Amino acid sequence: MNESLRLSALLAHPANGGLRVIVGPDDAEWTDVSIESTESELPADGAGGLAILTVPTPGTPWQQDALVRRTRDRGFLALAVPQADRFGSGTRTLAARLGLTLLHVERPMVLAKACWHLLEARDALTLGYVRKVAQSIEYPAESLPDLLRHLSASVGHGIALIDSEGVLFEAGGSLDRAVHAVVDFAPWVDLARAEGGGTAASVRVDSPSREGLRLAFFGDGLSDPQLSALAVAAEVAMPAVAARILIDEVAAVNETSVSSGVLRDFVDLRGTPDADVERRMLERGWRTTGYHLAFRIIGRTRLDAFQLLRFVTGGIGEIAADSHATTSGRGVSGWLTFVEPPTPTQVETHILALRGLHVAARRAFNIATGVGSLESGSTGLYTSLSEATDAARIAVNRSTTGWFVRVDGLGLEQLLLAWTGNDTFVPAAQSLLAPLQEGSGELLTTLSSYLDHESGIAATAAALGLHRNTVSSRIQRAQELLGVDITDPEARLALHLACRVTQS
Amino acid sequence: MARTLELAQLPALARGFSLLGSGGGGTTIMLELMLPDAATWPITLYELDDLDPSMPCLGAAFVGSTMLLGERLVAEAPFARLVAAAERWLGEPVPVVCSLEGGGLNGLTPLTFAGERMVVDADLTGRAVPSLDQMSLLVDRVPGVIATCDTGAGGVMLVQTDRPIDMERVIRSATVQAGGAGGTVFAGFTVGDLVEHSIHGSTVRALELGEAFTATASAPLPELAAALGGRVLGLGRITSVVPDARDPHVHAIGVDGVGGEVHRIITRSETLAFMTDGRLEASAPSIIVVLDAVTRDILEVTDLVLARTVAVLELPAPQWWSRSPERMRHVVPSAYGIPDLDGAA
Repeated sequence: MNESLRLSALLAHPANGGLRVIVGPDDAEWTDVSIESTESELPADGAGGLAILTVPTPGTPWQQDALVRRTRDRGFLALAVPQADRFGSGTRTLAARLGLTLLHVERPMVLAKACWHLLEARDALTLGYVRKVAQSIEYPAESLPDLLRHLSASVGHGIALIDSEGVLFEAGGSLDRAVHAVVDFAPWVDLARAEGGGTAASVRVDSPSREGLRLAFFGDGLSDPQLSALAVAAEVAMPAVAARILIDEVAAVNETSVSSGVLRDFVDLRGTPDADVERRMLERGWRTTGYHLAFRIIGRTRLDAFQLLRFVTGGIGEIAADSHATTSGRGVSGWLTFVEPPTPTQVETHILALRGLHVAARRAFNIATGVGSLESGSTGLYTSLSEATDAARIAVNRSTTGWFVRVDGLGLEQLLLAWTGNDTFVPAAQSLLAPLQEGSGELLTTLSSYLDHESGIAATAAALGLHRNTVSSRIQRAQELLGVDITDPEARLALHLACRVTQS
Repeated sequence: MARTLELAQLPALARGFSLLGSGGGGTTIMLELMLPDAATWPITLYELDDLDPSMPCLGAAFVGSTMLLGERLVAEAPFARLVAAAERWLGEPVPVVCSLEGGGLNGLTPLTFAGERMVVDADLTGRAVPSLDQMSLLVDRVPGVIATCDTGAGGVMLVQTDRPIDMERVIRSATVQAGGAGGTVFAGFTVGDLVEHSIHGSTVRALELGEAFTATASAPLPELAAALGGRVLGLGRITSVVPDARDPHVHAIGVDGVGGEVHRIITRSETLAFMTDGRLEASAPSIIVVLDAVTRDILEVTDLVLARTVAVLELPAPQWWSRSPERMRHVVPSAYGIPDLDGAA
C-alpha cells in the first residue's frame, strides 16, 4: 500500500457507500485505511490514515466529541462513520479544530470496498467498469443519447461525446468547458485533468462518417487509477458508440429522403389539394392550415445538403414557432407555421431569427438564404415556398445584403428581372434587339420608353422631349426592324423584358 | 472545637453552599430570608469531636422541586411534625442535628434548628445530589436509619427499610403526593455513626468558600479559582443546549471557548461533567461550578441558556466519596445512567 487515497477520488467513486463530507477540506490525501466496528478497536498508530467505523456512534454530543478526539489522538486524519450527519455544530467545530476530516457514510463496508479498489485492486476496479459497460450494451438503446444514458447510469460517471468544438451529446452530468479544453484529441487514449478538479478519460471514436470525435467518461476529482480504469471502459464502449452513430446517421438520411420526397410532391402539386400528399404531410407533423413563412437556403457553391439540414434543424429549434425543414434539391427548404396570424412585429422577429440562423450557418457553409412572404393555407404554403426559392436565387448574387433576401423587400419587377437575368435570356434579348443598336441607339431608348408608358405616344414624347411625330415614326421603324407586332400581349411582354435586361 | 456563626456570616455561608451545589441543590435565597428570624443567633456550630458519640442525631432537608419551594413558601418550623414522629418512633429525644445535603439550600437547613438542638458540622453528601439513596449513611448501609417525610395536608410518613432505594422511591412518591416539595428527616443514627459515615466540616468549608468568593468576586478568573482552591475549566459562550434522547433531564450544553475550544457541560439536576475538545476534564463527584462570566452569579443548571457567557470552575470533590469504589459508584455520572463520563475525578 504505497499509493495514497484521495478524498476526491472516493467522492467520485460511484459505489462509495453514500460518502459525504461533513467537516473538512475539499480534498485530502491519506496513506492508509483502517476499518473497524468501533473506535476502541482502531490501531493506536493511525499514521495519517482514514478510519472507517461500521457501528454508528452513540447519540450524545459528548460521546461524539470523544470519538472525534480519540480518533485524532490515534493519529488518524479522517473519520468516516454512519450517522456523522447527525453530529452537532460543536462536534463539527471540534473536528475542524483538530484537523480531522469528518465523513458521513451510509454503508461503511461499501466504502471500505471502494478504498480497497483504489488502493490495492485496480484491476478489479477496471474489471468492474468493463462489466458495467457490457451490461449497458446488453439493453437495446433507442438512439445515441439513449445509449450514452445507459452507459452513464451503469458505470456511474458522466459520459460525453465530444469534438474539438465542444460537447455533442452528454449524459449523467455536464462536461466542464475547462476539462474539454485540456483534452488532447490526437492520441488514442487521453487522461485529462483540469485546474479546479475536473477530470476526464477519453478515447478516439473511429467512425467512418464523422472525424475527430472522442468518447469521454468524466467526473470531478477522479484519481489516476480511476481515470485509467475509465479509459479502458471507454475503449470497450467506443465500438458500440461508433456503431450507434452510423445507425443513427443511416436512419436520419433515410428519414430526410422521405421528408424531402413529401415536400417535392407537395410543391409539384402547385397548391392543388391532394388527399394522399396531405396525409403524408400530416404524418410528419406538417400542417398546411394556418399561416406559413417559408425560407430556403441554398449553396453558393457545392455543399452537402444533409449536413446543412442537420445544422438548420438544430438552429430552427430555437425559434419560438412550429418549424419544419428538409432537404430539397441542392439546399434546404423550411417554414414556420402559425395557428393564429402573427402580428407584423412577430413576423419581423422571426425573420430576424432566420437571419441569425443564416449568419450562423455561413460560418460553416457558403450559402444564400431567401425568405418568402407570410401566406395562409395549403396554397399559401406553396406560394411562400416558391417565393423563398425565388428570393434565394436572387440572394446568391446579393453580397450587399449578406446573401440574405426576403421577398417582402423586393419590387415585383426585381423578381421578374431575377427570373430573366439568367444566362440564356440575356443573349437572346440582346440578339432580339440587335437591329435597334444601329446609330446612337435612339430607337431602343424610344421603344423602351414607349413600352414603359403603356404605348402612349404623347406620354413618350413628353418623357423624351421629342415631337409626337418623331416618336411614332421611330416606333414604326423599330417594329419594322424587329418584325414583331407590338399589339400582341405575349410579344409585347417579351420585348419589354428584353429592353429592361439590355438597358439595366 | 465548636465555633460560632454570626448572622453577618450568613450571606457568605449561603454563597459557599451555592458553590457546593454544583449547579443544583436549589437557591439559598429563601433560607437566607427565613434564618434571621427562625434561628437564634449567634449559632454554635459543633464539630463531631465536641459531642458524645452516643448522642442520637437527626438530619433534615427539603426534598422535591426546589423551584416549587420558592413559589409555595415554607411554613414556620417546617420539620416539627417530622421530628416529633421520628422521636416518637425511636422513643427518645434527638438533641443533635446535622445536614443531609451539604450543597445548595439544604446546607443551611440545619440552622433552622439552632436554639432548640445542637447543630453539628457534618452532612451526608458534601455536595448537592438528586437522590436520597445517595446519602452517605445509606451508601455505607448503616443499620437502623429511618426517615420521616411530609405527605401533604399535615400528614407524616415514616419509612424503615434495609433497602436504600426504597427510601428514595417511597419518599419521592410521598413528596409528589405532598405537592411536589416537602421536608424529610433522617434519624436513628448517632454522632458516632457520623464520624465514619459522613462528610465532615462542610459548613466551615462553605463559609470559607463563600468568604473567598465574596472577596475575589471581581478578581480575574484564575485568581478567583485559586482562592476557592479549585481551577478554571473554561470560559465561553453557550451555543447549544441539547437534551438527551433517553433522559430528558440530561442536557449537553455546548460552549464555544474564548480560545476556540469546544467545551461541553453535561448536566442533570446538577452539573455532572465537563469536557474540552472531546476530553473529559472533570466529572462528579467533583464540584463543577458555572458562573455568569459577566456578573459572577453562581448559576444553577436551569440558568444555562443559549448565548450566555459562562465561566466554569472545578472544586475538589469531598474525599469521603473516593475512599472506596463502592462509594464512588453511587455518585459518578453512570449512577444516573449517563455513559462514558466517569473517571475524571
